[in-house]
Amino acid sequence: MTSSEVKQTYARSQRPTPVDGYPTSTSTLQTATENILLKQLLDSSRIPGDASPPSTTGPVLQRNQHLQFLLRNLLQGFPQRYVSQDASQPWLLFWTLQGFSVLGVGLDDKIKKRARETLLALQHPDGGFAGGPGQFSHLLPTYAAVCSLAIVGQPGQSGAWDAIDRRKMYDFFMSLKQPDGSFLVSHDAEVDVRGIYCLLAVATLLNILTPELLAGLPEFIVSCQTYEGGFGNASFPEWDFQEENDEVTRVPSAPRPVLGEAHGGYTFCAFASWVLLQPYIRSYYTPAGSANTNPTIDYRALLRWLANMQGTAIELGGFKGRTNKLVDGCYSWWVGGCFGLVEGLLGIHAAPPASTGVNENSASTTADTSAGGASDDGWHDADDALLNRRALQEYILYAGQHPAGGLRDKPPKPADSYHTLYCLAGLSAAQHRVTPDETRRAQLLERWNAGEARQWDVSGLQNLITDQQARADALRKDVFASTLSWLEDEGADEYIGGSGNRVNATQPLFNLTVTHTELMMAHFYGQKLPPRQAKTPPKSK
Amino acid sequence: MDELPLYSERPEWVDVVPIPQYQDVDALAPINYSEEYQDATDYFRGIVKTEEMSPRVLQLTEHIIRLNPAHYSAWQYRYRTLIALESSLEDELRLMDAFAIEFLKTYQVWHHRRLLLTALRSVDAAAAELAFIARALEADTKNYHTWSYRQWLLAHFNDEDLLWSGERAWTENLLERDVRNNSAWHHRFFFVWGSGVRKGDEDREEILRRELTFTKEKIALAPNNPSAWNYLRGVLGHTGTPYASLSPFVKPYTATSVEKIDVVDLDNPVPSEGAELPCVMALEFLADTFEQEGGSQIPKAVETWKLLANEFDTMRKKYWEYRIKEALQASEP
Repeated sequence: MTSSEVKQTYARSQRPTPVDGYPTSTSTLQTATENILLKQLLDSSRIPGDASPPSTTGPVLQRNQHLQFLLRNLLQGFPQRYVSQDASQPWLLFWTLQGFSVLGVGLDDKIKKRARETLLALQHPDGGFAGGPGQFSHLLPTYAAVCSLAIVGQPGQSGAWDAIDRRKMYDFFMSLKQPDGSFLVSHDAEVDVRGIYCLLAVATLLNILTPELLAGLPEFIVSCQTYEGGFGNASFPEWDFQEENDEVTRVPSAPRPVLGEAHGGYTFCAFASWVLLQPYIRSYYTPAGSANTNPTIDYRALLRWLANMQGTAIELGGFKGRTNKLVDGCYSWWVGGCFGLVEGLLGIHAAPPASTGVNENSASTTADTSAGGASDDGWHDADDALLNRRALQEYILYAGQHPAGGLRDKPPKPADSYHTLYCLAGLSAAQHRVTPDETRRAQLLERWNAGEARQWDVSGLQNLITDQQARADALRKDVFASTLSWLEDEGADEYIGGSGNRVNATQPLFNLTVTHTELMMAHFYGQKLPPRQAKTPPKSK
Repeated sequence: MDELPLYSERPEWVDVVPIPQYQDVDALAPINYSEEYQDATDYFRGIVKTEEMSPRVLQLTEHIIRLNPAHYSAWQYRYRTLIALESSLEDELRLMDAFAIEFLKTYQVWHHRRLLLTALRSVDAAAAELAFIARALEADTKNYHTWSYRQWLLAHFNDEDLLWSGERAWTENLLERDVRNNSAWHHRFFFVWGSGVRKGDEDREEILRRELTFTKEKIALAPNNPSAWNYLRGVLGHTGTPYASLSPFVKPYTATSVEKIDVVDLDNPVPSEGAELPCVMALEFLADTFEQEGGSQIPKAVETWKLLANEFDTMRKKYWEYRIKEALQASEP
């Protein structure tokens, strides 16, 4: 295409979303939002009326303003309206601490120490972490607290890592387990995939994943996928799993309908859970063809849904969380970040096809998982991400930044702690590519020390008969190597507005940096990590 | 509500030892609480510690919930207290009616109702809930928790005559008011396809015809509506119906303008006059039809995807290119 053709295409694609002469409340709200976003864009660096693609200078990440915003929240605290987050205190810390990590800013020891003390005050005597001191344990704050401790903690005395009561946490998790494999988020509370994700992320980081903890979870995740391809918040278990006199009867022919429509946040949580479950599926499910078939999800429908969540040019390429809803900066991570997980699991960028680390039995029935490498069809490109990475960065930088610091849903909303992290994490997901690296995986497997890892067992499995113990060991080993094989593809990064806008890469399974993930897991699995080597750059055209 | 004195100033609370939030910790990222909230939560920690379950606990937890409906521990403790005191759950439900409207967006408001309904075990109460939910959705037609709760309620009580039977008419009314309400489309899928077979819906081929007719009419009304196209795909996928069976319907939506058609085909309603064509979702559907047919149709699929990638849906260029790559690889001998 010539440059004028490019310009023409760009201009055309900035047309409003069609209303088809049939406005409804959804389309009216959509149109109003598009007008706001377009105005925002024109008010930014561009010349009014010029719909050409952004110039080379482009938008600027207001790094200092955002750091000031984070620092103010951390030290001075939050204004009174944040009382709504009183039961999410570890989240306020996580959003802030991880915000610093993404911006590449380390914290001094004094602050880290205060953070550790604050976080440990949230640990419940019966295991797990609560939303605030004296509140009850809950899976969501447990994730936020443990991930925060990955950032500010360390081994040894007063390092806080060894003050996490893993044995009690495991018991807390098991006390929430439901007959259908899922978990309540807290006692007398609801089941939903956010809680499942939080539990799996924490159990992975802390080396407390066991087959008894995971039983039934893959099928539960599968049951949460909607006809649209994205995932809803839970499924209805009572027809399939009937509980009578403490006995659970299974009626496998009964429907297990998903509750709630496809949604960006739930989709991230469900799919990240699915990735975290892969080692378990590999070890504990029989090969396809036998009576016990592997649980499968529909990857094609998922990818289609994810792709459709990206707004058009007039929405500045931001992401929405549901069909026919508005774009919102936080979905930059929940949906934008989910692309990285799908691409990584399916091996979409892998230079040679096959060998993707995905359970081949489960994947091949719904999607051709080796679709990655061929470059001789004229369509290969150095940037073969399935989302529009440049456009997503534009949304975050043009619409997501609040002029006074911090990031937000969209103009003219104020910045808040939650949106600040998920916009920054989304920016990271759009700039970098973090995928499983087979070389790293092999290296980690080779150096694996099973005896050391078993010392950290909390489930009593070390007392089991040899066969079960061997399987549990194998699971632990696969979890460790698979999780830590996610590394950045150096050379696959891409920055709108120049490399001055660069933020740190993010480990997409946890929303932590790769380094924080490695340090914490090396500790809780009793392993010494071999040094990382730069990943082989992906093939370019 | 009149300003009440702080718990620390009320003689009837003098026996409770309030517990401050952080002791010996200089907390980072603190919230600047109001005095009222801090006082109430100090006393909440106090009663949790002594495991008190009494009427005044209900008063205290209500107070905290009004100040912060996301305080899940206050909700949990309230529920346990209600059960322990054998309080009237109907009264609690009426209190919740006011809460739900005021705090529509919090998880706990809806989960608490679910606990109450589970304990009440009454289909009549469930039927009344459907009416209540309908009113709540008036205020926020896409509220996730409200919809999720309605679906749970239908499945849990599972009564054809009192519960399921009204869902189709009710949902159609919502779609008539806003055909782009994706939550309503999802709900339709839930009760038509996801949750077993409704009474009167036993002839599945007839139901498939009914749903296709309904969806096609809605697409004709506003063709660029992803909710309707997604539902269509959902129905075809669920029933294993080939996309090609829809080709006569889809074709006019892939044209660049609305064509005048002399013969009216009732099975295949044409785009409305205001339709902005071509419709991206129709082009996508066409390409997927070609791909399903395979063989010599693959190049046609590729051509259509290129149109989307380069002209009509450039934001998803990478995705369309991926589809092309994938289809070409799959069709290699």
